[in-house]
Amino acid sequence: MKPHVILRWFVFVTAALVMNFPVIATFITALKAPAEIARNPSLVVHNPTIENFVTVLTVSDRLNIYHYLWNSLIAASIGSILPIVVAFPIAWAIVRRGYGRNILFPLVVNLRALPLVIFAVPLYLMFSVVNLLDTRLGLGLVLAVVNLPLALMLLVNAVAEIPIELEEAARMDGARLPRLILRIVLPLCRPAFITTFVFGFITAWNEFLFGLILTTQKAVPMTVGASFFFATSGGGVQWGVAAAVMIVAALPPLLLGLIMYRKITGSMVSGAVKG
Amino acid sequence: MRLLPSQENAILASPMVLFLLALLGFPVVLSIIYGFSEASFQSLMSPKLIGIANFQLVLQDSAFWDAAWFSLRFGVITALLECVLGLFLAVYLAPLIRENGWMVAVLIIPMIVAPAMIGLMYRLVLHEFAGPVPYYFYEWLGWSPSFLSTGMVFQTIVVAETLQWTPFAFLLFLTAYQAIPQDIREAAAVDGTRPWRMFWKIELPQMLPTLFVAGFIRFIDGFRVFDNIYTLVGAGPGGSTTSMSIYIYETFLRRGEIGKAMAAAILLFVVAFAILALGQSLMRKRR
Repeated sequence: MKPHVILRWFVFVTAALVMNFPVIATFITALKAPAEIARNPSLVVHNPTIENFVTVLTVSDRLNIYHYLWNSLIAASIGSILPIVVAFPIAWAIVRRGYGRNILFPLVVNLRALPLVIFAVPLYLMFSVVNLLDTRLGLGLVLAVVNLPLALMLLVNAVAEIPIELEEAARMDGARLPRLILRIVLPLCRPAFITTFVFGFITAWNEFLFGLILTTQKAVPMTVGASFFFATSGGGVQWGVAAAVMIVAALPPLLLGLIMYRKITGSMVSGAVKG
Repeated sequence: MRLLPSQENAILASPMVLFLLALLGFPVVLSIIYGFSEASFQSLMSPKLIGIANFQLVLQDSAFWDAAWFSLRFGVITALLECVLGLFLAVYLAPLIRENGWMVAVLIIPMIVAPAMIGLMYRLVLHEFAGPVPYYFYEWLGWSPSFLSTGMVFQTIVVAETLQWTPFAFLLFLTAYQAIPQDIREAAAVDGTRPWRMFWKIELPQMLPTLFVAGFIRFIDGFRVFDNIYTLVGAGPGGSTTSMSIYIYETFLRRGEIGKAMAAAILLFVVAFAILALGQSLMRKRR
């Protein structure tokens, strides 16, 4: 290998290790027994064990991780499917009819640049009136708002890429609008639905602020639940268990993201450049 | 019965419009009411109108200005660092990535992990007894800075944020770099242009719009930062890491000053809106 190729590999490995360092170090700590953590904070594990993961995945009074995972799963599903459902019809109207292109579309797209905390306080007040505080549905609805801008943008792009000739041909055959949209446009947008869903699911799963403010017990999502393990209660933090909790909490979006990374990166770029 | 196109449009738009009205319209009305009222968690349902007193309260609060200054600094510094590092990685690694696409997946992992989780992970990583970073400092240098102390905490969270979001800038630059037409490079190469000059004179100007977009998006994200700072240090020693988002959160949930929190949120909205409008008009001029 030529020297400059070796140097490039060196830069890549260094960047990968440094940027992923918190995840790597947390994973290593999760493999240490409590006694070893006290003696050996280094990155070399002498006696690797899955003890911490067993503790985390066993239901106990102090900790029921399945509760948090379930809450996150439900809320993130609502938060990623609902935006697609409400944005798809208007995406077609925006592309083919220019409807809402000047006001509604930029308004929604710009929502994602606003600090979320602005909505958090009034949503708290509203939810306390309509009894949605500390519910998975309430959290899911808010996450849907968070995901709506990118969903709309990706679906508008998807509809715009459908050749108009296909739609015209269907019109010629006498297809009316509902049929046209459901039979022609919808199937062709399926790849965009999947991308939008995956991206939205990851965003929703990783969201923290709304979970912190809008839930207290019943609907606490995984990100907020994980932070509870750091609330020092007398004996201090059990680092091994806490590390295992973080790995479990980070795993669902990580797996989804790595499987679909081409789609994710594609939508990140188009979302950024066209916004 | 056939519908008119305008009726069809209205029907197609209605799901999203109704959804937005319910989840944002209602809160906007509440914001305005509570922003001009006095209310606490005890008197939540009976806000008392007091005019602009909340806004005066916020604008006279030095903690509000500290938070604004913190967010501004944090946003600018992290955006700059992320763009410089991301640009370097994208351009320098592009030849390797052309043959090894999977490298991109490795480098974007930090973005797929929740910022809140990254903040918690740093608590472990930087912990004075259990954390590997202080351990290796002692091991190799014989001393270790206290990363979360008043003097160091700002640098620490800047590094944490930069390491997590450099991949975003990297990704945008990589895409822009790969999109530069090959014949431009070849023409320059025929003329004997050296690699360094090629970068400055040909590649960088081609990527300038992306540089602007990436910097702007990263600034906005840095400006509104909450999750990772909150889970790592909360408001920080002596409130030294209180960003705008954390200021509003603390005013609302910790101190229960609902009217004041709402007034601050409205002010933040106005500022964010102004930044956004300014950024977009600048970008339009560039194009």
